[in-house]
Amino acid sequence: MLTIRFVPAAESGKAPEALALGVAPGGQQLASARIADADGLVTRALAGRHRFKGDEDDVLPVLTASGWLVLVGMGPPEERDAKRLRRIGGNLFAELADSGIVRLDLSLDVSSEDAAELAYGMCLRAWRPPARYRSKPDPDEAWSLVEVVVATPDPALAEARFSQLAAVAVASAWARDLVVAPGNELNPDGFCRQLDRLADLGVRVEQVDPRQAGLTLLQAVGQGSSIPPRLVMLRWQGGEREDGPLVFVGKGITFDSGGIDIKPWEDMEEMKGDMAGAAAVAGTIHALAARHAPVNAVGVLVIAENMPSGRATRPGDVVKSYAGLSVEIVDTDAEGRLALADALAFAAATCRPALMVDLATLTGAVEVSLGRHRAGLFTADDALAETLFLAGEAEDEPLWRLPLTDAYDEALKSSIADLRNCSWGHDPDALHAARFLQHFVPDGLPWAHLDIAGTSEAEEDGPLAAEGPTGFGIRLLVHLVEDRCQG
Amino acid sequence: MKISFAKASQPAEGALVISVLEGRKPSPTARQLDEKTDGLITRAMAASRFEGKKDQTLLLVAPNGLEVQRLLLVGLGKPEDVDVQAAEGWGGMVMAQLQAAGDEVVTIAVDAIEGCSLAADHLAAHVAFGARLRSYRFDKYRTKEKTEEKPSVGKVVIMLDEHSAAKRRFSVLDGIAEGVFMTRDLASEPANVIYPESLAERAKSLADSGVDVEILGEKQMRKLGMGALLGVGQGSERESQLVVMRWMGAEDENAAPVAFVGKGVTFDSGGISIKPAANMEDMKWDMGGAAVVIGVMKALALRNAKVNAVGVVGLVENMPSGSAQRPGDVVTSMSGQTIEVINTDAEGRLVLADALWYTQDRFKPQAMIDLATLTGAIIISLGDRYAGLFANDEDLAARLMAAGKEVGELLWRMPLDDPYDKQIKSDIADMKNTGGREGGSITAAMFLKRFVKDTKWAHLDIAGVTWAKKDGSVTPKGATAFGVRLLDRLVAETYEQK
Repeated sequence: MLTIRFVPAAESGKAPEALALGVAPGGQQLASARIADADGLVTRALAGRHRFKGDEDDVLPVLTASGWLVLVGMGPPEERDAKRLRRIGGNLFAELADSGIVRLDLSLDVSSEDAAELAYGMCLRAWRPPARYRSKPDPDEAWSLVEVVVATPDPALAEARFSQLAAVAVASAWARDLVVAPGNELNPDGFCRQLDRLADLGVRVEQVDPRQAGLTLLQAVGQGSSIPPRLVMLRWQGGEREDGPLVFVGKGITFDSGGIDIKPWEDMEEMKGDMAGAAAVAGTIHALAARHAPVNAVGVLVIAENMPSGRATRPGDVVKSYAGLSVEIVDTDAEGRLALADALAFAAATCRPALMVDLATLTGAVEVSLGRHRAGLFTADDALAETLFLAGEAEDEPLWRLPLTDAYDEALKSSIADLRNCSWGHDPDALHAARFLQHFVPDGLPWAHLDIAGTSEAEEDGPLAAEGPTGFGIRLLVHLVEDRCQG
Repeated sequence: MKISFAKASQPAEGALVISVLEGRKPSPTARQLDEKTDGLITRAMAASRFEGKKDQTLLLVAPNGLEVQRLLLVGLGKPEDVDVQAAEGWGGMVMAQLQAAGDEVVTIAVDAIEGCSLAADHLAAHVAFGARLRSYRFDKYRTKEKTEEKPSVGKVVIMLDEHSAAKRRFSVLDGIAEGVFMTRDLASEPANVIYPESLAERAKSLADSGVDVEILGEKQMRKLGMGALLGVGQGSERESQLVVMRWMGAEDENAAPVAFVGKGVTFDSGGISIKPAANMEDMKWDMGGAAVVIGVMKALALRNAKVNAVGVVGLVENMPSGSAQRPGDVVTSMSGQTIEVINTDAEGRLVLADALWYTQDRFKPQAMIDLATLTGAIIISLGDRYAGLFANDEDLAARLMAAGKEVGELLWRMPLDDPYDKQIKSDIADMKNTGGREGGSITAAMFLKRFVKDTKWAHLDIAGVTWAKKDGSVTPKGATAFGVRLLDRLVAETYEQK
């Protein structure tokens, strides 16, 4: 990760390799920029650059006789909240990553807390796939920028805040590593090995064998693979012993071929990312543990590989679930809801949850519905919906509530079992899936389902993540935990 | 079918409908009848699974001594759950059960219900309304239907003591039903009968009800610079039309109107970006939004609503031909903004772009609501029970949601955020007309938003709810007219002088 240091404003006086200065809309220079402009340098750099408006996504690097001068659009002061500062940081990193600049000094005239947020944004953006999948480095991806020195009024304060945020950035980078890992490396065994590192942070990692625990739906999803499925519990005990934990459930299909209902070949390699929900949950627990969060939280990961084979589940198979409801599996490619159904019922029965939130790359329908900007939020609990929605807005992981309704129950009726797992060819599938899951959550338990199929990976570069995995959900869930700890 | 209201008595013919509350509690009329028939109703309930739950029915042959032929018991559920929608469902249920049972006269006894918030006359009016709405049939093209296949019921009598109060209430609802039926007729008509000019002609009939109707042809639209709308229609032999309907019912005739704008693609083949053949016949109802606007204008006029309302519908036929619009064409809209037409099958937004601009430009409405069967994506998003609601104003959105809930035409709010706007950036023009598969309904709404200035505006994507594949409580399968009752309700609650 990027090295970030906070220093007192005075220290960063002598000509650095690259100096970043803030400019607000209308070309208005912030204090440090004005000082640097004593000889008119900044004004000359801005002259004629009409595209540089001082907005949050404007970065203008210019080479001067005394080194690099980087003008950074800071947006209007009244809008300079944590979210904007992270975006400014992220855009700044993206712009300079391969500029040749090795060390960047920031003199952006923001408070110590804001400096931490800005640096956090840079760290979030500074992720790329691990190099180990290549035999030699890709010259197009040579990043020069490794060190950022931030001038700030109170370095200790900034450092304290940043260390909290950096814990999330580290967790997010780890989760992205997991998502981008190919299916032959990150199969159910490989995923479980990765989770062992959480033990070093004080997380109790426990593997559950679906056959022994009666997680028959999870077993049905994973039985076609030569590597057996697993349910993994990640327990973080940071709160009072008797407090019921917050339970986060993640879908972890390490590769989803569709099974016997195999998917079309086009883009099928993307299905190595069908465990992004589980990665986000693991990342969340990682962040909470690293921060010693005063809360009890349990991550429940359902990990399986969905493969066609001689022992794979067949369309039409009926399985009696952990919860007792029988399910006719009419589509082996609607497997996420099956694995999650058992996980939700199992977690509710064994964890005494105060609250359950599941994350899953569940349906293609939610991409059609909400695109890649917002994830689908389903819950019967209005207060929880509001809390999650606001957390998403604050963290730049926006959600949108969609109906959790019995209006389409007809679609989930089976002619032979209690339920079927989807309604072939009938819309709206994201709503069907959410409603299906609801059958496996006890009444009265606050529960929300996040369908992150559209947001777990970005198709184009954004301020906090380049094209590729985003770690969507981690910041949101950590925010939710913070809210509850404060509330 | 004729609906009338009469004082409680013993009907002399046909079928008599009586109600039973949950727990097998008969209404007063049912109890009287039970006594008169030595406990027939009590025995019948005991012999069946009929418990008086909502939507349960039990059909009995009337015993000797009664003049009617049949008795229909209708379950109403719990008294506190009997609301306006339940009353309408009750009337609808009666029609579903008896419409083709052979009786010419159906008498529905509506008793006051203890523990129900609605008085008997209020209930009765909505029972009648539900029966009326459910009785709709579009059968003009059946030339050989046998008598026994046709509905037998010619007359529905609602029987209650407060019959004149009920009748007064119903006369308002009946106007709305007329609007609903007009909308259903228009959407059901095949595209060789309903094309832009003939649809405009139908709209013209609203003049009989006091609506001012104005029709603009291609020449006038060209003069106005409506290049987006005209581009869609240029492949068709039929001339595109823009119909402007004005109902000035407010005391102050200068009061800013509420405006309704409808997409009226009378047939949507997709144009050069032609659709697959399967189910293409459904595209005759791609003018569903326009049909709703025409229907609601009719309803407002018939019930003499004290409001100024404007309805604007853009009518085009989207056909492939030697003169059709090509993918890649750039058109200039009335607003001056240019559009690259990537997909000629994303045509509804092109029509609306000009219709919306024209409406706000000319009428400066206090609020503008458009309805359109706009995207397949909304069906994947919300299915056939909710229409998508997009709005630039929180208050208008809340009022629309509430109105929808009251009449059982449900809306679900969808996002309208700037990040979606980048999906419709064009390499060559101000925007392109499709943003791809992801968030397809949202990018369509973002496109429309570019043609709305500072007017309070809402867009209803009704592609999933305009045509029902199966019968609903007050809507037979087929054209639903979703939106007419909702907008009528919105006007009554928000824009009408009390």
